[in-house]
Amino acid sequence: MSVVNYGTREITCKIVYYGPGRSGKTTNLQHVYSQLPEERKGKMVSLATETDRTLFFDFLPLDLGTISGFATRFQLYTVPGQVYYAATRKLVLQGVDGVVFVADSQSRQLAENIESLQDLHANLADEGFDPRTIPLVMQYNKRDLPAGEISSIEDLDETLNFRGVPHYAGAAISGRGVFETLRSISTLVLSRLSAPATKG
Amino acid sequence: MAREAEEEEEGGEFADFLADVSKEIAQRVESLDPTPKAVAAAKLKTPVAPEERRKTPAVADAGVIVEWPNIADRLIEEIR
Repeated sequence: MSVVNYGTREITCKIVYYGPGRSGKTTNLQHVYSQLPEERKGKMVSLATETDRTLFFDFLPLDLGTISGFATRFQLYTVPGQVYYAATRKLVLQGVDGVVFVADSQSRQLAENIESLQDLHANLADEGFDPRTIPLVMQYNKRDLPAGEISSIEDLDETLNFRGVPHYAGAAISGRGVFETLRSISTLVLSRLSAPATKG
Repeated sequence: MAREAEEEEEGGEFADFLADVSKEIAQRVESLDPTPKAVAAAKLKTPVAPEERRKTPAVADAGVIVEWPNIADRLIEEIR
């Protein structure tokens, strides 16, 4: 995916929020959407089931306006976390520029986090990306839950963050950590504009 | 009142994000810009074979060129 186009003066970045079901991916996007000034508010597309689970994906186009002469757009996506939507997750990952892995901090969800991370790596590899180098940020969500129910940041980092990428504590439902995470992945993605592989 | 302050603070989250992203983009596009004078100069210095000159249409797409911000963009497109 081309992220910078000097011909049309456009920069487009696709960021995908990945993670197990109910980890808070949609909530991250909803918080970003809620903070947008009215003039920048496009449509956030959410396809959810009757039980409010993401069925297909969420899509939030972020039009940042003209920056340094370039029309700049970020496209934020989530994937459905439930295991049986594997094909959809692969589809959403096509042309991705950066990934936010939203982990559920609850101790009882550790196995789901690991499974989802493995699924991410497998799907990235299938789509032709190197899972070891693609821009990635970890968000350990639900830090607002009682201490007895959640794993420590250190434990989560040791188990999930073997690449040593930036990680953030989050409570997306109240907005905590949401923009820090988005800012971090955006910076990583933009820093890759200098890589020759980004053309095309 | 408290709600107003909260909203103001919330709006600030996006503004801060936009400021950071803008700074990053400004740095990147400047360092990556393939339109520096050096590129154009290098192209001008490259000798063009007479037969190549003959192959090049004079101004086949003159109407489009007028809409481009500057001639450097055209050079880049042609290099591609």
